[in-house]
Amino acid sequence: MVLSIFKVLWNNLKQGPSTDPFPFGETFTPARLRGKVTIDPDSCVGCGVCATVCAGNAIKHVEREDGSGKDFYVWHNTCTFCGMCQHYCPTKAIRLTNDWSTAHCNEDKYKMKEQEFVAYARCTECNQAMPNMPHAMLDHIYGTPTKELETIYGLCPECRRQKSAQQFGAHIHD
Amino acid sequence: MSIIDSIKSKAVRSPWLYRINAGSCNGCDVELATTALIPRYDVERLGCKYCGSPKHADIVLITGPVTAMVKDKVLRVYEEIPEPKVTVAVGICPISGGVFRGSYSVPIMLDDIIPVDVNVPGCPPRPQAILEGVAMALDIWKTRI
Repeated sequence: MVLSIFKVLWNNLKQGPSTDPFPFGETFTPARLRGKVTIDPDSCVGCGVCATVCAGNAIKHVEREDGSGKDFYVWHNTCTFCGMCQHYCPTKAIRLTNDWSTAHCNEDKYKMKEQEFVAYARCTECNQAMPNMPHAMLDHIYGTPTKELETIYGLCPECRRQKSAQQFGAHIHD
Repeated sequence: MSIIDSIKSKAVRSPWLYRINAGSCNGCDVELATTALIPRYDVERLGCKYCGSPKHADIVLITGPVTAMVKDKVLRVYEEIPEPKVTVAVGICPISGGVFRGSYSVPIMLDDIIPVDVNVPGCPPRPQAILEGVAMALDIWKTRI
């Protein structure tokens, strides 16, 4: 017990000063640190789960008037870095990076945001706008993609229902 | 270099920090204490020093969402800090209201009542982020003195 203090002292002597060199040098950032949010618009389906679970109300989805898609905003100045959006995102489109450097001048207060455009996909049958489903998500839902499934992937929910019914031999009347 | 410039270059080395808690949950205050007290982050390397009186302060760090009860008190303490002063909002609460935004007891943001210079968002921000904010505030303070 008495000797353990010498061990601590010896280790301290070996390691040198324990003061973090930042801001005069590089600092250590853990790989899993929860920092600024990033969005991958290609894998986002626009379901809005992230906005629902967001504690600080930092996430906003705004639908465009022309129906081409959604604008996805994350305002860093009210994000608590809780990571709930990342946890609940079904397609891993929203992610917390380990970038903690957030200090900025007050003029840039409303510029501290992530903004991405999440485009809607078009139905190959009726050309109606529908949420863009990434392939990884569809494969997860429907299993191994076959040729029939590949045609269904590009259809809106209504056309998909009709197509599946036809595959089972049902006759659909317009 | 004129006498005034030489005085300026010597005077900008030791700003004193003052901390106002405007209804904070104590998270940011703990991080501020961490940056100041423990040698790992050591804000005093930047020439800063925490002081106990607003009359000695140069850089003021404000935490908390400025609740209705504390608003007048914050303003009163802020008025006592001599010019030139630099205001740093630490944490998301003073910047936007944070998770308390929209609450009946958080009617305003900090920059509605006080001119804020630097924002350090986070809930709470890392000590390194606070150091970064203080370093930015130092640069602003040097231009004002």
